[in-house]
Amino acid sequence: MLRELRRRLDARFDAWTRRRTPALLPVRFDRHRIYVLPTRFGLFFGALLLVMGAGALNYNNNPALLLCLLLAGAGIASLLQAQQQLGGLEIHAIGAEPVPAGAPLQLRVHARAPTGRERRGLRVECAGHAATLSLDDGTGEADLALATTTRGWLDPGRLRISTTRPLGLARAWGYAWADAPLLVYPAPEPAGPPLPTGEGEHAQSRLTPSGDDVHHLRDWRRGDSLRAVAWKASARRDALLVREFEQPLGADIVLDWQALHALRHEDRIRRLARWVDDAERESRRYRLRLPGQSVLGPGHGAAHRHACLRALALLPREGHASAAG
Amino acid sequence: MPVLRAERTPLDPRGRRWALAAAAACLLPLLPQLPPALALGCVGAGLLVVLASRRRPLPAWIRVLLALCLVGMVLSMSRFSLGRDTACALLAAMLAIKPGELASLRDARSLVGFGLFAPFSTFLLDQGPLSLALGLAGVVVALAALAQLAEHESGDAAPLAPRTRLATVGRLLLIGLPLALAGFWLFPRLGTPLWGVPERALARPGLSDEMAPGEWLDMMNDDRPALRVSFSGPPPEQSQMYWRGPVLMDYDGRTWTRARRLEGLPVPATTRVDSPWQYEMVLEPTDRRTVVALELPEAAPAGARLTWDYTLESRLPMNSVTRWRMDAAPPRSFETQLFPFVRDAALVLPAGFNPRTVALARQWRRELGPSADAAIVERAMAMIRAEFGYTLATPLPGRHSADEFLFEWKQGFCEHFSSAFVILMRAAGIPSRVVTGYAGGYRNPFGGYWIVRNQDAHAWAEVWLEGRGWVRVDPTAAVAPERIYDTIDDRANAGGFGALPGVAPMLDVGDWLRRGWNDLVLGFDATRQMAMLRPLGLGGSGTRGLVALFAICAGLALAWMLWLTARAERSADAVLAAWRRLGARYARIGLARAPHEPALQWARRVAAARPGGSETLLSLTARFEAWRYAPRSASADPRQLVHDLRRHRPQ
Repeated sequence: MLRELRRRLDARFDAWTRRRTPALLPVRFDRHRIYVLPTRFGLFFGALLLVMGAGALNYNNNPALLLCLLLAGAGIASLLQAQQQLGGLEIHAIGAEPVPAGAPLQLRVHARAPTGRERRGLRVECAGHAATLSLDDGTGEADLALATTTRGWLDPGRLRISTTRPLGLARAWGYAWADAPLLVYPAPEPAGPPLPTGEGEHAQSRLTPSGDDVHHLRDWRRGDSLRAVAWKASARRDALLVREFEQPLGADIVLDWQALHALRHEDRIRRLARWVDDAERESRRYRLRLPGQSVLGPGHGAAHRHACLRALALLPREGHASAAG
Repeated sequence: MPVLRAERTPLDPRGRRWALAAAAACLLPLLPQLPPALALGCVGAGLLVVLASRRRPLPAWIRVLLALCLVGMVLSMSRFSLGRDTACALLAAMLAIKPGELASLRDARSLVGFGLFAPFSTFLLDQGPLSLALGLAGVVVALAALAQLAEHESGDAAPLAPRTRLATVGRLLLIGLPLALAGFWLFPRLGTPLWGVPERALARPGLSDEMAPGEWLDMMNDDRPALRVSFSGPPPEQSQMYWRGPVLMDYDGRTWTRARRLEGLPVPATTRVDSPWQYEMVLEPTDRRTVVALELPEAAPAGARLTWDYTLESRLPMNSVTRWRMDAAPPRSFETQLFPFVRDAALVLPAGFNPRTVALARQWRRELGPSADAAIVERAMAMIRAEFGYTLATPLPGRHSADEFLFEWKQGFCEHFSSAFVILMRAAGIPSRVVTGYAGGYRNPFGGYWIVRNQDAHAWAEVWLEGRGWVRVDPTAAVAPERIYDTIDDRANAGGFGALPGVAPMLDVGDWLRRGWNDLVLGFDATRQMAMLRPLGLGGSGTRGLVALFAICAGLALAWMLWLTARAERSADAVLAAWRRLGARYARIGLARAPHEPALQWARRVAAARPGGSETLLSLTARFEAWRYAPRSASADPRQLVHDLRRHRPQ
């Protein structure tokens, strides 16, 4: 029951802080955005001081009272210092490179602050994961590994930046929200059929300086590798000749959603994601045809891959997708 | 890295060392207050536990066994009576074995937290300078340990040298000091305690309600102050300084004790000589109720009452320094009408003790006649004056202690003299009793107050004479007045530490400081707090005025703390501060440096925007960059640079 109460309190507090905080970066922690509360140990410490103080007052034992007050003074000073460590801190970027679902998403939090104050060991927490943020010379960043489970947009939720230093009696904290959601690619199928072959219309072969089948010999040009020189033939012709090979490159590959109708919705996506990666690995041009969208490509390279995987990641889930299927 | 709670965060070796150091530092002040065997036991158990639990926490059964052993030891030492000192000893024992379960961050923190109780409980037992210094040191180390633990928890623990860490904690304490002091002086004090102070199970050495000849030797060698007195008028002669303590009426052949059964009797009538002495006295804590007072007190001060034998009893046991303001005047007559049963009580001698003394007294009575009480007293004093000597080196008394003293040793100190004298008087039929207390005193030239030490403890006699009542007779003073009235000079002449040149004034200054501390800190209570308000014009408003004043001062102290915490960090680097202020001056005219812009690039941009007169800025910037980023030579003095940076204005 206590846990339930706590959860509800947390939710209420969350709603309260969110309402007061625009979700725009950079977020600068000023007095109104920093909360300070005693930690559990701080509460214990406070209770200890209360017992001491009551005893000392009752017995009019002045050294004991002075001791108790000194501790209380240091405790309050530590509370102020905790707050000061966050004061002026600015979270100016929160971002992450997209990763396939299942792999940890490296959330990167960039912070800066006016120098002069020591700000080390700040704790950045997000969705049950934590990292340490230490500022050197006014800037610092923390890497948080967030677990990902499903493709699509991932809202990391509220980021809590907190510190219990210098004495561990009080925790000062503030919140920041990522200004853009983070993308999680679909997880590629772990093993599956090879890439579909080219469909013929754009079939082509490319001549490359390495390969299996010698296609022909040609004159040497600047920039040709010495290893490609056909020395025997060159000796016969009294001029440098270079071998050229033929690489049987298929046509541009078409990764077609409709061609995979035997698979379930999510499996199709995973296979297509895998093929995108395969095609990238083999540096082949590919295009992606998805239902209800214009064809992506042909092309290859990081940008094209991102566009394809993004499209795959953002495909509607199965329930919503039946119309498109 | 998943989020870990403190109870599951494992403790690193450095944190463990700090936690152990904190526990040891906190335990240290408590140890001298414990019986030596127990203190040794605690230290031994603590070391054992620490060594045994170096790799992993001790199994629970060993810890329970150890705890039971130590508890048994403590209880058997205090003879199974629970008192304040027993509780403190138990705390020390528990603190000694607590390191056995040091595994997580939370364990370490609870060890430090409980450790903080040790200095606190030390102060309940003793408030001497050593306890205070050790207690403060314990607190500092404990806070430093907390800082180390917090840094470990944060995941970014810089390996700071212990000295640096202690300095950081010292700064925290200093920042909190104004608030602490405001609370100390102004937080409303309790006039009367809400609950009683548990008594000690083992009594503190000092004047007690009983006396057996030869038992006071420890006290006679203890030069700690028992009380400090300042007279507001002329002080009495030193030979008149008798500080009256417990009056001992009952004698069982060996020990003199107070006659508690006469407690309910009314305070007897006295007449006094004129011109009383007015004085203020600060008593060191005794844990007892008897307030020693200059003979004879005129009336009981607030918080104490006079009893039938003119001793003062405090309402509460005196566990800390207490302050008393009294008048005293020597009596002209003191209880001229004696109740028959008091008279009987003052004549009782146990049968079968000291036959030779009794025979001598009866012989005097026969020779001098039935109404010659004063003459018998005179005769006894003449005998003592003629034949006796003073020494602290006395053999252990046998069954007939008065006989041995009067007829064999003829040497002894106040206990022997007073006890034998009273036995002699009682055997002669003169009502008499032993009075214990202090005699004499030493005037400290610094501060002009009088110190009475434990070694000034004294016992004298009172005989009851027709028409005059109780009359003080001091047989010891008849033999060795210099040993009784002035102990310090005596000590200096006897050689030793006090005889070294320059040491005596140092001791005087030390005691003067101690008295100031007593006045300002130890003796501060509700009465003095109210007295402090009076000059401020808040005397009438009572607690409400105090609370208001406290609130104001606490607010001021908090503001001061805020300012200090913010400022202390800003002023870390004077060059950087001056550079930033220079930047702010340019920002005002719209030429602020962008956060990502290197300093020199910014200076060039400014120079381009404001041609002419920006050479100074360029050269200053170059010097600043050199100072900040180039390898620094030890001799480089940034003061000139700071000065130039501060002087520069946009042109």
